Amino acid sequence: MLLSEQDQFLSYNGEVLVFQLSKPKHAEEADDKTMNLYVRRMVFNRDTKLFVQKSSGVFSMGDSHSKVEMICCSCTTDSRTGIILPCVLMKKKKRNNVKYFLLLLHSSNQFEPSFYFKLDYELKEDIRLFAGPSLLWRHANKLFYISSNSCVVQSAPVQLSSVVWTGEIVGEGTVVLGIRTACLPETEDPHEFSISDRAIWGSEFFGYAIQTQKMLTGACFMPHAYSRVVSSVYVCKSERLKKQLQISLVAITHKNQLIWFQNGVPKGVCELPYEKPCSVKPALTSSNDLLFVVSFASGNSCVVRRRDSLQVASKWQKVKCVLVDDFIGSGREQLLLLFQEDSNTDVLSTFKVTDLGEVNYASGINYKYDVPAAEGLQENGLLTVRALETRLQAGWNSVRELQQHLGLQKRVILESCRALKDLVEERTHILPNSKEEGLVSLWDDVENPPDSLSKETSSASQVPEHFTEELWQRVVGDSLIVGVKLAESFNLSLSDVSLSLVMDQDFSSILPIIKCQSKIIKLNKAFSALAVSSSQIEPPPKKIKLDLHSKNDLKEEFPKMSSRIQRDGTKTVTAVTSLSPLLAFHRVCCVVLLHARKQNHQNDSLQQSKKITILCGKILLSLEDISNSRYSVKMLRDNNYCTGSMEDILAVLAVSVRFSFQIVSCDYTLTPVSSWLLGEMECTPFKECQDNIFCHKAGNVHGTIFNWALKNPFEGVLTVFCRNLTVLFQCLHSLTRVLPPSCSVKLLRSGSKGVLTEHLALALEKEMLTLKKSLFLKETKAENSLTWGNESGKKINNAPLDSLLDTEEGVQQFRKKLQNEREESVRSMNQTMNGALYQKIALKIAEAQLSSDMIVWRLA
Amino acid sequence: PEPGCLRAWAAHSQALVGRWMTARCGGEARQMRRQQRDEFRELLLSIRGLPAALPALPLELTVLYNSLLFTMGASDSAIKGEAAGIRQGLLRVLEACGACGQDLGMEELWQKVLQEITVEELQASLHRLGALQAAWWLAAGRLESVAGLFQLLSTAEDLGRAHCSEGQNKLLSMIKAWRVPPEGASLPLVQSAKDLKEILCTAAAFLQGLQELEAGNFPTALSLLQEAAGGFCSKNILAQIYTCLGCCTQRMGKPQTALQHLKRALQVDFQCLPALSHVAAVYHELGETDAEMQALTLLYEALGKNPTAAASSSPCFLMQTELLVHTPVLTSLLRRHHPSEVKYLLAQRCLQDGRVADAVEHYLDFLSLLQEGLQQQVPLDGSSALPRIPEVFLEAASALEQAGRHQDAITVCEEVISRTTDLIPRVLRMEEKLEQPECSLPGAGLAGGLLSQKKESLCCLAWRAAGYLHQGWAWAKLGESKEAVTQFSRCLSDLLRVQLHESGVKQTENLQAEVEVLQKIRLLSLIGRGTQFLELGRHKEALLDFQHSLQISPGDPAAASYLVQALWKLNRKQEAAAQWQKFSQGSPAMDGQQQGQGRPLPLYLVSCLEQAVFPHSEPLARSIQDYLGTAAQDTS
Repeated sequence: MLLSEQDQFLSYNGEVLVFQLSKPKHAEEADDKTMNLYVRRMVFNRDTKLFVQKSSGVFSMGDSHSKVEMICCSCTTDSRTGIILPCVLMKKKKRNNVKYFLLLLHSSNQFEPSFYFKLDYELKEDIRLFAGPSLLWRHANKLFYISSNSCVVQSAPVQLSSVVWTGEIVGEGTVVLGIRTACLPETEDPHEFSISDRAIWGSEFFGYAIQTQKMLTGACFMPHAYSRVVSSVYVCKSERLKKQLQISLVAITHKNQLIWFQNGVPKGVCELPYEKPCSVKPALTSSNDLLFVVSFASGNSCVVRRRDSLQVASKWQKVKCVLVDDFIGSGREQLLLLFQEDSNTDVLSTFKVTDLGEVNYASGINYKYDVPAAEGLQENGLLTVRALETRLQAGWNSVRELQQHLGLQKRVILESCRALKDLVEERTHILPNSKEEGLVSLWDDVENPPDSLSKETSSASQVPEHFTEELWQRVVGDSLIVGVKLAESFNLSLSDVSLSLVMDQDFSSILPIIKCQSKIIKLNKAFSALAVSSSQIEPPPKKIKLDLHSKNDLKEEFPKMSSRIQRDGTKTVTAVTSLSPLLAFHRVCCVVLLHARKQNHQNDSLQQSKKITILCGKILLSLEDISNSRYSVKMLRDNNYCTGSMEDILAVLAVSVRFSFQIVSCDYTLTPVSSWLLGEMECTPFKECQDNIFCHKAGNVHGTIFNWALKNPFEGVLTVFCRNLTVLFQCLHSLTRVLPPSCSVKLLRSGSKGVLTEHLALALEKEMLTLKKSLFLKETKAENSLTWGNESGKKINNAPLDSLLDTEEGVQQFRKKLQNEREESVRSMNQTMNGALYQKIALKIAEAQLSSDMIVWRLA
Repeated sequence: PEPGCLRAWAAHSQALVGRWMTARCGGEARQMRRQQRDEFRELLLSIRGLPAALPALPLELTVLYNSLLFTMGASDSAIKGEAAGIRQGLLRVLEACGACGQDLGMEELWQKVLQEITVEELQASLHRLGALQAAWWLAAGRLESVAGLFQLLSTAEDLGRAHCSEGQNKLLSMIKAWRVPPEGASLPLVQSAKDLKEILCTAAAFLQGLQELEAGNFPTALSLLQEAAGGFCSKNILAQIYTCLGCCTQRMGKPQTALQHLKRALQVDFQCLPALSHVAAVYHELGETDAEMQALTLLYEALGKNPTAAASSSPCFLMQTELLVHTPVLTSLLRRHHPSEVKYLLAQRCLQDGRVADAVEHYLDFLSLLQEGLQQQVPLDGSSALPRIPEVFLEAASALEQAGRHQDAITVCEEVISRTTDLIPRVLRMEEKLEQPECSLPGAGLAGGLLSQKKESLCCLAWRAAGYLHQGWAWAKLGESKEAVTQFSRCLSDLLRVQLHESGVKQTENLQAEVEVLQKIRLLSLIGRGTQFLELGRHKEALLDFQHSLQISPGDPAAASYLVQALWKLNRKQEAAAQWQKFSQGSPAMDGQQQGQGRPLPLYLVSCLEQAVFPHSEPLARSIQDYLGTAAQDTS
C-alpha cells in the first residue's frame, strides 16, 4: 500500500502503527462512499534491517456522505483497565455540524469507538488527547474538554491564549499548562511587582487541574517571563518534596531556543538551528544522555543533547515524523526518522533508526543529513592545537635553556683552563670583569656634574645672618598654628628644630609654657615640572662620564646626595596647640622661641653641634580677632586652581595627619591616580605650590590635601594630609577602586623607602668610619705604639678596593683581613688608654650607632 | 515573592563579575577568562531568549558589555571585524521601544538609537556600550566613525568644552570630553568604563601618532605620541610608545632625544628589544661605533636569552591598548631582529670599522649559525638586514684575509665558487632588447622576469669572480705566485662569459650596478695578475695586464703606477717616464671624478681595492725623477 499525506504514525511498544484512511479495495469501481480505517503493525527485523508488517486491522466507517478525516492519534491510558492504548481522533463533517469520535485500538487490532460529540465549529487549536481517554481543545480563548467517562463537553473557567502542555502531575491528576495575560495582583507590593516578570512581559503561566478543577500557580513550571515565548513544553519529571512541586521540563520558544528548566529556574539554553520549532519530546538512548527531539514547522528536525550543557547533536531536513521507542528491542530508546519522499513509496521503506551512538540503521535513504553541528568541536580542536603548541614551546624553551647552560659551562671551563695556564706559566690571572662577561651597561646613569660640588662648598662657607624670615599664626578648627619660616640659607646647618610658645603675661597660677606640637614642613614652591618645552631642545650630545672606580669620586658623591635630600624647598617650623584653653584668657600674648642644634659643617657629630634658642617674636591672640575670623584659613576654588596663601596651606598641613603611601603598579601606568584626584575627588592644585592639591569634594573629605609624586610611570608616593583617620579610610576606599588590579599600596612610616635606605647606608658607613677613626686615634696617641695597626690598616687602604670586591676570592680575602683587624683591635683593647680619650670615643661610637638604629627602626 | 527572571539574571551577572574580580590576577586567568566568556554568553543567550523589555534592557546591555569584553579578553589577539553583539543589542533596544532598524548601517543605527531613545534608565548602559563600539572602530582604524559616535555621546555643553582647547587633537579632546556614566552597584562591570575611556584615549593618541609618523608630520606625531605616553598604558605599550617616540625624534634629526626615549623604553620594559636595535641604529647614525657595538652585542645576548617571554604574560585587564593598535607601521617599527641578523650587523660593522679580529669572530659565528639551519636562523622576509648569503661569505673571506688567515679565506671562497658553479650560464649576453622592458607593456611581465633572471646570473657571476679574486690575492699573500696567477686567470675567464656590448652607455639602469661591480672585479683581477707576473719576472705579460686594466679604468692610479713599474723593469725607461708624467699630471682630477660618480663598492671588494694599491710609489717616483733629471742633463 502506498503512503499518502494523511497517514498517521504512532509508536507503540516498539512497534510502528500506521493508520491509513482509504476506500475498500473491492469497492473501488462502485460509487461506494464507504471509508475504511486501516491499521498496520510494523516491527523492525534485525536480520533484514527492515520494517515488516506483523499484523493489520480495519475499521469500517460505514456509508457516509460526509468527509472523514483523521485529526490525531496518541497513546493514552484507558481508565477502565489502566492499559495504555493507541487511539485515533476522527472527524466527520456534515452540512452544519461536525462530528468527532475517538477510536481505541486493542491489541487484537480491533477498533473500539470510545466517545463522540458534535460541534458547530471545527477543532483547530491546541487539540490534546490524554488519559481517560479524554480530549481537550481551545476555542475562542476558552478551554473545553471531554472524557470517555462523562461523554459531555465541559469548559474550564479560564481565559487563555494557548495551551503548551497537558499531562499528569503527581497529586494533581491531569494538568493543563496554559498561557494567559497577566492578572495584576492587588495585595502584592507594587514596587516589588514592577520588576516582576508578569509586570515586565505582561503574560503568565497557569496550571489547571482538570479532575479537581483547581488552578495551580504557573511559577513552579517556568518563570512567567517565558510565557511570552514558549510554544511547547515537555515535562520530564514531576514530584512532590515536602508538599512542594518539583518539576523538570524542557521548553521550546518562538525565539528558536530550547530551554531546560528545573523547579522553575532556567538551567540551560540552546539555540536551535531552524526557525519555528513546534514540538519537543525526550529520548533516553543507550549513551545515557538525555536527548530532546525537536520538530520544526518547516519539516526539519534536530536533536539536542544534554550533557554539561545543551548542544545540538544532529539535525535533519525534510523529515515527515520522528518517533521515539525501542524499535530494535535493545532496552533503550532509539529515534525513528521517517523522511518525506518525492515519490510515493511503500510504507516505512525509507527510514533511519538511530540513537546517535552505536545504533544506526538506515534504509532507502539517499539523503545526506547535515553533519553533526557540535559547535564546540571546532573550538575544542583549536584548544588542543594551542595546548600542543604551548607544550612544544615549553619543550623548545627547555632545550634552549639547556643549550645556554651548556654554553655557560663551557665558558666556565674555558676560564678555568685559562686560569690554570696562567698559574702554570706563573702569570697573575686576571679575572674578566663584569663588562667582559657581557654585562655592559649602555648608559652611565650615575653622573656627577663637577660644578655642583664647588657650588655647594661655596654655599656652605657663607654664614647666615638671619635664621628666620617670617612669623605668622592661623586658626584651623580648634587649633592654633604658629609658623616660623626659616631662612633658606640657614636650612642646612640646623637640626632638631622645634618651636615653643611661652606666655608673656604672668599668670602665677599657670605654667607659662604652652604645650604644643612642633612640625617642620617643607614645601616646594617650584612649579611641578612643566618642562614641556624641554622636548623641543636637543640635549647635549654626550654626558660626562665619571670613572667610578677611582676612590675620590666615590667619597665625594655621598655628601652631595645627602645634601640633595634636604636642599630643595623652604622649610617652615610650625607649632600646633589647642586654641580653646588659650582663649580662656581672652587676650593672650605669646613669645615664640625656636630651638635648634647648629651643626658644624665640617664635622657633623653631636659633639660639635651646639644647642641654640632664638627668639622669633611675639604673637597676640584675642577672642575678637578670632570672632572676626582674622586668622582663619581661606581656601577658594578659582578656575582650575585653589587659592590660599602659603601660610594657609602650611597651617592646614600642620594640623593634618600625614600619611604617605607608596603605590607600585607592576603592569600598568599610574595615570588613574591623577585622574581620580582631579576627577572623582574634585581636587585642584594650589596656585602657590602646585605639587599639593586640595580636595573640594563635598562631605567629610573636603579639605584634605594630597600630594602625588610620580617617581616613574609605575611608581609613586601619595601623601595624604587629612583631618582624621576616617577621612583617610574614605579616601583609600575610593582610591582602591580606581587603581589597576595589580597594584600594591604600602604605607610609608616616614620618608620613602629609597631615601631611608640611602640614609641607612650613610649612617652605617659613618658608624664604621667612626669606629675605624677612633681606633687609629688610639693608635697614634697610645704610648706604646705597636706594629699591628699600621700594617693591616695600610694593606686595606692600598689594595684596590673595587677590584677586590669584584671577585669572590677578593671578598674572602677582604673578610679575612677584616677578621684579623678585629682580632687585633680586641687585642689592642687590653692596652692602656687615656680616660678622656676613651670617653670621647665611646660617646662618638654610641652616637653613630644610635643614629643608624633610629633609621633601622623607621625603615622597619 | 516569585523568582523573577530579571532578578535571577542580575544575581547571576553579579556573581560572575564578583568571581572575576577576585580571580582576575590569579594564575589561571586565561582558563578563567574562557569560562567566564562562555558563562556570560549563555546568560546573554537566555536574556535574548525573551522579548526585549525596557526594565530588563539596562541589565541586558550591561551583560552584553561584559560579554564582549570577555570575548575580547579571551581571544588574546587584536580585535578585528564588527562586533555583531553590539548590533543585536541596539536592535533589541529599538525593539523594546517599538522601533526597528534592521537595514541600517552601524553608524546610522547608533545615531537612531542615541537620538530617538531618550529613556533615562538606558542612557548609562548605552553609553558604555558606545565606548566599546568606539574601541572596535578604533581597532579597525575607523577614526571618523569614532569621532561621530563621541559627538553623539556627548552633550553640546561637553563638546563646547572640548572645542575650547585649541590646538589639541580633535578626536582626543572629544573622547576626553565624554562624561563616563557612573557605575551602579547593581550592574557591576568587569572593566569600568572609566578604564575604557583612558584606554581609548591612549589608543587614539597612539594610533594617530603612528599615522602622522607614517605621513611624515613629525612634530604632530611627536606631540600625539607624547600624549599617548602620558596616558594609561601597560608596561608593554609604554615601551612601544617610547620606541616610536625614539624613531620619530630620530627622523626629526634629534638623535640624543631619540636615545633618551629609547632608553626610557628599555627602562620600562627590557623585553622591548626593538628599542635596542633602534639604539644601535641611532649610534650608527651618530658614528659612535663603540656604543653601537655595545648595543648590538647586548641585543644579541638579549635575543638569545629570552625568545618568547612576552607571550606568556597574562594581563588583568580584558580590554587593552595592545588589542586596539595594530598597524603595519607599528609592526615594522617593532620588528624583532633575528639573532642571526644582529650577528651579521655586528660582523659587518666591525669589518667596516676595521676591527678585523672581531669581524672574523663574528663572521665565523654567523657562518656557524647558518650551518645550524638556514630556515630557522634567517628571516626570509624582505625587511631583513641580511644581504645575500654569498656576499656574507665573501665578506667573511675578506675579513679572514685582512686578519692574515689566508688559508681560511681561500676555503671560504672555495665554498662560494663551488656553490655558484651550476648557477651561471656559459654565456651571458647583455642584449639591447632587454634594455627598455617597460616600454612594451604586454611583454613587460615576461621581460621583467627575464631581466631579474639576468640580474641573478650576473650576481652569481660577480660572486664567483670575486671568490677567485680573493683567492688570488690570498695566494699572492702566501707567496704562491703561480697559484695566484691561476686564480686570477680563472676570475678573468669567468668574467669573459659576459658579453658586454660596446655601447655601454645604453646599459639599462637596472643592471648598471651589477655591471659596474663586474668591471671593478676585472680591474682588480688584472692588476693582481699583473703584480704576480712581475713577481715571477714575466714582465711582458704583466705589462699587458696593466695595459688592459688601464683600458677598463683609464687613469686608475694603481694600474698606472704598476704600468710604469713594468715598463721600468722592462728597461723601457723613456716610455715609463712619459707615462709617469702623464699620469702624475692627470691623476688628481681623475681621482676626484671617479670617487664622485662611483657607487659604494660592495663591502667584500674593499679589501681587494686596498691590496691593489701600488706600494712603492715613493721609490719609483724618485728613480723616475732621477732618470728624468739625468735625461734632462743629457739633452742639455
